[in-house]
Amino acid sequence: MQKTALKVLILLLCAGISYSSFAQTAAPVKREFKFGKLLPSEFDTKSTGIDSAASAIKLFDVGDCYFELSSSSGQFVYVFERHVRYKILNKNGYDLANFNINLYKSSSSAKEDLSYMDAATYNMVDGKMVTSKLNKDAKFTEAFDKNHVIKKFTLPNVKEGSVIEFKYRIKSDFIFTLRGWKFQSDVPTLYTEYNVRIPEYFSYKHNFSGYYMVDHPVHQTINASYAAGVSSNSTLDKYSLSNVPALKDEPYVTTMDDYIPKVEFELNATNFPGQMYKDYTGSWSKIITELGTDENFGGYIDKNSYAKSVLPGILKGEKDTVAMVKLITNYVKSNLKWNKDYSKYSTVTNPKLIFEKKTGNSADINLALFNLLKEAKIEAYPVLVSTRENGAHPGYPIITAFDNVIAVAQINNKLCFLDATDTDLPVGMIDYENLNHKGFYIDLEKKGGNWLSTEPEASSEKTFAYSFTLDKENKLSGKINQYSKGYSALSLRNRYRKTNNQEEFVKNFKKDKTGLEITKYEILNLDNLDELLTESMDVVIEDNVEEAGNLVYFSPLLFERTKENLFKHEERKFPVDFAYPFKENYRITLNFPEEYEVEKLPKGGIYKLADNKGTFTITYIAEGKSLMVKSVINMNKSLYSSEDYFDLKELFKAIVEKQAEQIVFKKKV
Amino acid sequence: MKKIISTLLGIACFNAVLAQDYDAAKIPEELKKDAIAVIRNEEQFFDIKSLSSGQYDYKVAITILTKAGDQWAEMDEVYDKFSEISNVRATLYDGNGKKVKDYKSSDIKDQSLLSDFSIFEDNRIKKLKFVSLTYPYTIEYSYTQNFKGLLYFPSWRDLKGFNVSVERSAYTLQKNKGYALRYLTGSNTKTDSATVGDKVLYKWKSVNVPAITSEPLSTGIDNICQWVKASPDQFEYDGSSGNFNNWKSFGAWIYGLNTGGNKLPEATRGMVQNLIKDAKTQQEKVRILYNHLQQNTRYVSVQLGIGGFRPIVAEKVAQVNYGDCKALSNYMKAMLNEAGIASNLIMIGNDMPSLNKNYSSMGQANHMILCIPSAKDTTFLECTSQYNPMGFIGYSNADRNVLMITDDGGKIVHTPIYTEKDNYQIRKTKINLQEDGSAMLELKSTYGNAQFEDNFSYTLMEPVELRKRLIENSPVPVAELVSFRYLQPDKNLPVLNEEMSMKTNSLITRGGDKMFLVLNQINRKESIPLKVENRKTPFAVPFSYNDEDEITYTLPAGYKVEFMPKDIVITSEFGTYTAKFLTKDNTIVYTRTQTMSDKKYPAEKYNEYVDFNKKIYQADKQKAVLAKAL
Repeated sequence: MQKTALKVLILLLCAGISYSSFAQTAAPVKREFKFGKLLPSEFDTKSTGIDSAASAIKLFDVGDCYFELSSSSGQFVYVFERHVRYKILNKNGYDLANFNINLYKSSSSAKEDLSYMDAATYNMVDGKMVTSKLNKDAKFTEAFDKNHVIKKFTLPNVKEGSVIEFKYRIKSDFIFTLRGWKFQSDVPTLYTEYNVRIPEYFSYKHNFSGYYMVDHPVHQTINASYAAGVSSNSTLDKYSLSNVPALKDEPYVTTMDDYIPKVEFELNATNFPGQMYKDYTGSWSKIITELGTDENFGGYIDKNSYAKSVLPGILKGEKDTVAMVKLITNYVKSNLKWNKDYSKYSTVTNPKLIFEKKTGNSADINLALFNLLKEAKIEAYPVLVSTRENGAHPGYPIITAFDNVIAVAQINNKLCFLDATDTDLPVGMIDYENLNHKGFYIDLEKKGGNWLSTEPEASSEKTFAYSFTLDKENKLSGKINQYSKGYSALSLRNRYRKTNNQEEFVKNFKKDKTGLEITKYEILNLDNLDELLTESMDVVIEDNVEEAGNLVYFSPLLFERTKENLFKHEERKFPVDFAYPFKENYRITLNFPEEYEVEKLPKGGIYKLADNKGTFTITYIAEGKSLMVKSVINMNKSLYSSEDYFDLKELFKAIVEKQAEQIVFKKKV
Repeated sequence: MKKIISTLLGIACFNAVLAQDYDAAKIPEELKKDAIAVIRNEEQFFDIKSLSSGQYDYKVAITILTKAGDQWAEMDEVYDKFSEISNVRATLYDGNGKKVKDYKSSDIKDQSLLSDFSIFEDNRIKKLKFVSLTYPYTIEYSYTQNFKGLLYFPSWRDLKGFNVSVERSAYTLQKNKGYALRYLTGSNTKTDSATVGDKVLYKWKSVNVPAITSEPLSTGIDNICQWVKASPDQFEYDGSSGNFNNWKSFGAWIYGLNTGGNKLPEATRGMVQNLIKDAKTQQEKVRILYNHLQQNTRYVSVQLGIGGFRPIVAEKVAQVNYGDCKALSNYMKAMLNEAGIASNLIMIGNDMPSLNKNYSSMGQANHMILCIPSAKDTTFLECTSQYNPMGFIGYSNADRNVLMITDDGGKIVHTPIYTEKDNYQIRKTKINLQEDGSAMLELKSTYGNAQFEDNFSYTLMEPVELRKRLIENSPVPVAELVSFRYLQPDKNLPVLNEEMSMKTNSLITRGGDKMFLVLNQINRKESIPLKVENRKTPFAVPFSYNDEDEITYTLPAGYKVEFMPKDIVITSEFGTYTAKFLTKDNTIVYTRTQTMSDKKYPAEKYNEYVDFNKKIYQADKQKAVLAKAL
């Protein structure tokens, strides 16, 4: 039953090609799932293959989602039912017996209710099944905050070999998005299905993502009556998957959520009898229209009284577009402090209010920025993005998959991305979380928009220039200059500002550099974001040049040696996502004592990945009593496919080994 | 009349605050040095109204000097239903002390607050994050907290942490004349007391204390700051009452809470008798029952009101087979009791300092274990662990004063000490070097006690994850992990064996015609703590241990050793280190020992400790020079 892994799936989705699995013809699995009704065979379930040492097995996980008319409000609500059963294999699986259900309530009366909950533990004792029901005093309600309630349950008598199950029902007033379904979890799953029945009055987008293709054995129209005497239809979809291995995470990914097979739902349109067809988010143009009228998006952008009043003071007659964009961005950055929340909607309905509050989420800030640009008649657009944490956007019109907004300005026929959240982001650079490869720009006036590549033009670049003299006591003294660009400059600026003072910063800098003493440290262009961030220091280094008999040797990369391979694992399933390309240049020039002779220099080398995806070069030059070593690493892409993994690993193996090579001097006796 | 006096006093002390000028320019220079934030004024006022009630008025103003100080621009006040918070007021001022805004009550978040080990508790938190674009700025907030039930009084400390200075901080504790309490202060903290009518006031105050910077391995700032802890004698809380005057009466209260909680259902009693029917010695019985506990119960923590101190009754645990440290310890006690073995509950500060013998109070313990007293060999049982060998209580419970709960009240006893000898790691490694520098490596280690504990989680890991972890953590670059195994040869002993075999990438670094081999490939010290000038706080070595390594290298044919380092011995009061280098034919045998003891050392010894570490660091990177024989 298990589907072949579809690695291309993600790439297809990234390219904006939607797919449908309606053509699936897998026969529906006939199974009954009844609370308390266990087959003896379920106690004998063992895990096999790659998951042979799993802590538990999900025997089944079955969900239903359907609609009903609320007796109190007369409105449609949706009902979510779930029934999940586990076999606990060892003590690591005990945590599954503590079960949480998160419920939401809005500030108005709309809410979610847990209308039914049952759970039990089953143990085989002397060949007989013993049932332990969930105790009354093992149910808790945690009022997390004013919008979130967590219902908590803990099961009795859980041991290695127990079977446990939970069954519950939630009724929800929030029908714009329905509870989705994840077909994979931390433990292996034997069978999982989700049945969704949607009345003919509603249409929803079914949004799939993940590493495995989900089966779709049922797609049919059935009769469903919601109000007495009114017959109507609904559409039933069954999604299922069998024998799903446990999810195992990997480093350098956006979010593991991108790889879990799952389905999510967003309201497309409503079509009630006697009412107009109402399109919510059926197409990009509809989404753009809705956003345009939303008081926390278009409404916010349209309010220009504040912009009108401050703009002359900001621009002071400046006419050059680039200069105007910089002035406006700086104004926003110096008047609004980001509260670290990402959102595509502002929290207030007028930029004036946010400038009074002085703080807000990413939408409050970036839409205020856009509002000012617009008032200054600069061609600019809001750009919706899905942060790395939020995962990849599937590409087709779905608004819930975005969780952030930035801006783009068109300057001299070039796109310039703008993000005023982090005050250390220069014009043209966006926050790391936004580096999810693409964003959707929207033109609220023309009701248009399209995908743009957000691949960063500014990569991360670091240059180390050491210039030293070696004395006969094997002490190195001289100057270190370090230059940072792009994302490495951003992170250095952030780190510097988070530190109490320069003294503290230098202390932290020295922490992992044994033997380094700094007599003078200077940082240049800390506040000139468009200029090269430069650190220079006078240093003395001890303990790094060693002696063995009449040999003197040291590793010329000193503290900047790549000590370990970034890629240690033997295999990789998912793409490697660095977010941005990066470069690392290192150069050391060294004058050494008259009494020393270079034994023999290591061999230089050039290592390349196919298609210029990455290179590593190391060169050694000696002349008279001085020598120079240069090492250059260029990783030219932000995203590498899992097929590139082995080559990446080999490249870094070469980097680790070559950078470790020693310069050896022989002392004249 | 009496009431009026106390009210007047309250007003008087808040008037002083109102008159405060928050202009940051007026902060003395010495308070700005090394500071990210300055406590401008802090007023704690606690009024003990009765055995079971009190009112706490708190007000603080903090000037944030730099971005690094933003972490102090936050209100995080914890409460529960026995200590509700009201009248929260919060204001932001700019650098000149001009008011920027008053926060609204809707700006203050109210959230549940659970310890990470609990599934349910009644603690909640009031949170507010103050935001300013410019530095410096000043935050100010105040609130009232009404205590129903008094187990402790708020404590006070002038320095809140590193890099924060104090302009003024004060604490006033007010009680009725007849009310008895005890307090403990720092060695240089002065107490002022005054009697006004039938009220007694204790006052502590601190002014103009400069900031201190963070110091590595610090055991805390208690020796340099002013502080007070205070505890009631008689108290009432959640329907219970007792006296904390000494540990004996403290223990009597806990004992009393547990009255009647030790009965077992008939079926469980039968089960216990059945389990031990063939056991001959007491130790065997304990082992069988402890093993039963580990196999059949799990840890679930729910802490509500008095339930934070009173164990769930054994009958209940027998039904559901879960509970927190108190419930599981008490259940184990009941089973032992059924087997005719007497045992006592133990209140203990897990990962906390020893209980102070001379000052009994709430808050010094956070955990419960069990002990089976015996004249020569008392056994302690950690009942929340499903894996600990019987009698092994782990490093975070070891070597400290704890409170034994007996029918005659509380009694201070000391838990076992795991010495450097006990916490061993003995490892033998064979490295077969190949022509290209890569190697076949085989490693066998044995871990004892605390080091057993450190590595035990490997035995529970899922093999695919374990494989990843071992490759990631390997001290040598792994080309292929051929095999690995973790085994606890005897479930009753804290001893773990480890075996690994792998192919490595190159272990040799080249330099022209020479080859360099770092002789300690397996257990290197990779970093040294930074030196600190004028250190102020004492420090401690994190734990006592003893490592022994032997690495045997076999060189490829045709390689000769051109240089070998000399043997190294380093001794200091912190520990000892030896490294020996031996060449024989085509093999090199490297042996290394390191012994460290976890004592507390005075501040002025710190740079010696750094030097000791530096010597080890240098010794650990000693290299042999190899060359191909011509």
